[in-house]
Amino acid sequence: MASLLQLEGLRQRYGTLTALDDLSFNVAAGQVVGFLGPNGAGKTTTMRAIFGLTDLDAGTVKWNGAKVSQAERRRFGYMPEERGLYPGMHVGEQLEYLGRLHAMSASSARSAAEMWLERLGIADRTDSKVESLSHGNQQRVQLAAALVHGPELIILDEPLAGLDPTGIDDIGNVLTEQARAGQCVLFSSHQLDQVEDLCESVTIIDHGRLVVSGRVDELATSGARRLVVRVEGDRDASWANGIAGVTVSEVNGGEARLVLSDGVDSESVLRAAMAKGRLTEFVFQRRRLSEVFREALG
Amino acid sequence: MKTWVLLVVLVALGALRVWRRAKRRSGAPRQSRLRFAPLTSDVGLVAAREMRERFRGRIFRVGTVLILLVVAGAIVIPTLNKGKSEPQRIGVVGPLAAPLRAVVANYARGAGLTVYFVPESGVGAAKDDLRSGRIDLAIINAGQLLVDKSTGADATSTIPQLASDLGDAEAIAAAHLSAAQASELAGAKALPIMSLQPGPANKTLATSLIGLILIFVMLSQYNTWILIGVMEEKSSRVIEVLLAAVRPIQLLAGKVLGIGLVALTQATVIVAFALLLAKGVGSNLLHGTGPSVVLSTLVWLFLGYAFYCWVYAAAGSMAERQDQVQSLAFPLSIPIIFGYVMALTAASSGSVSSFFKVLAYLPPTAPFAMPVLVGLGAVAWWQFLASAVISVVCTIAMARVAAGVYRRAILRTGGRVRIREIFGRANAS
Repeated sequence: MASLLQLEGLRQRYGTLTALDDLSFNVAAGQVVGFLGPNGAGKTTTMRAIFGLTDLDAGTVKWNGAKVSQAERRRFGYMPEERGLYPGMHVGEQLEYLGRLHAMSASSARSAAEMWLERLGIADRTDSKVESLSHGNQQRVQLAAALVHGPELIILDEPLAGLDPTGIDDIGNVLTEQARAGQCVLFSSHQLDQVEDLCESVTIIDHGRLVVSGRVDELATSGARRLVVRVEGDRDASWANGIAGVTVSEVNGGEARLVLSDGVDSESVLRAAMAKGRLTEFVFQRRRLSEVFREALG
Repeated sequence: MKTWVLLVVLVALGALRVWRRAKRRSGAPRQSRLRFAPLTSDVGLVAAREMRERFRGRIFRVGTVLILLVVAGAIVIPTLNKGKSEPQRIGVVGPLAAPLRAVVANYARGAGLTVYFVPESGVGAAKDDLRSGRIDLAIINAGQLLVDKSTGADATSTIPQLASDLGDAEAIAAAHLSAAQASELAGAKALPIMSLQPGPANKTLATSLIGLILIFVMLSQYNTWILIGVMEEKSSRVIEVLLAAVRPIQLLAGKVLGIGLVALTQATVIVAFALLLAKGVGSNLLHGTGPSVVLSTLVWLFLGYAFYCWVYAAAGSMAERQDQVQSLAFPLSIPIIFGYVMALTAASSGSVSSFFKVLAYLPPTAPFAMPVLVGLGAVAWWQFLASAVISVVCTIAMARVAAGVYRRAILRTGGRVRIREIFGRANAS
């Protein structure tokens, strides 16, 4: 049976603020799952709850059908939002120490630390103090800290924040590899384009409640149709405003992205565009994840 | 006495039983690795990291060297001063018979000095030489000693003893005694004096003072390490990564154990160094009750650390910034400073009040007060043991409270955590 993380009815209040409101969803193994939501939606609280770092008012976190225990949490890997490493400790020793806290032997932890530092391209910084590394390299060490013990479940809170494109590619490749190897990978991010590229599935929450969850392909092909139209010389797509059931979602450099309600005939749109001028582009596109996100949050 | 011992043992066993039962009730699964392989347990791993990082730190190395220098100074300087204050050249006016010269030579050997006799032409010349410092003492016609300072100015001077010895020698010579009688009189010793009061404090004053300073410096230093160490783990957010793998109590216990072992190592090095140096230079550091003071200093350093480390760890978990640490550290240091000052005063004066004796049974001040009582010989062994048991019981209670505060405060971010928040609803951020 594939490993499965199950969150059931999580509730958490801080005074008058509701952080989690009966939140339930599952994360299957073998895929990268994006965990999305606006600021304050409850993403970090959810992730901390998985590791027992917050005292829930109600709800259960299960792994493979059983309530998660401390022993199982040792087989999970966590990369918190605000990076957590000893600034004055050497990189290699730090990874070995964290590996040993996850029940590895000294030699296994050392080998794993060396392997991950090599894999992430920072083997030459093994004996450097963390505080002497650049932001991107500290991020790589933090990722290695989450992976050094070969976790079955990998939880990453904003792992791509502040990274350059190379860093995003490096970390994205590692997460994809881990998912392909059968691990359960859940990560949060505000960079929806990267999430769309990396994830097979997404879960979107708001005000501590589940809004939508599913495979990216299914979410992208569901909902209203998207039509991209470019008419030579036209800059604002004002010609489309008069068509019933058609909404202009954005215009970028003369390229208009239209949202077609159910029942709208695309040929009527084609005729209206051709009446405006010479048509250079007319193509249906999938819903972007950013559109899924915005529409899900209303 | 037997009743007291039995009572103490029963209290200790009862406390242990309550603690173990409460531990089982907390629902924590038993970890056989913790019980049987402490060095490889999580607590051991955390402690080992603390020790490695602290031993490597410049603060530890420089601090140890500085403390050793201060201790060396406190031991060596008094022995240097003792040798310098005594006369070395003795002017002689008129004849000085061989037996009297032998008395002076004996006196010099006893004081560890080498003396030279300087013939003087008269009393006036001897006075001039004394004033100019060419001689330190003059013997006038074998019947009078002349010095260039007030006769009561230096209580530690041995010149009166020399004067007495010379007087005795002259009296023996004047009595025309037989050689055997003269020898008997020359070997006379002063009668021993027995007292109903405790022995004079100044015998172990230096030992007590060095012990007090050691306890004060080390408690202040290592508690501050714990306070800042906990705060830094919280502020750097590494605490979230650690607590994703180990329990808060394991992390806390590992930290206080690791830093405690560093403190114990440093204290052992300092005490061993002091003992070896004292023996080497012939210091009287270990005379009288000195060994008891050294032992009790080590015991109370351990007990004092064990009590205060939990308090400081709990305080550190409530802070997130350096300025918050300072405002938390000040009130915690008040009982330490109070106990230290009271103990210094008592050790210096050599007398203890009833209030001071009470302080020796209170865990916050006992680490300072009890070693002083030991130094003054003003405490029985069972009183010492009773105070230690009180401290251990209070330490266990303090550890339980501190662990609760730590668990609730360490993950709360966004400002200093208040006590009322901790003991209110136990929610986390």
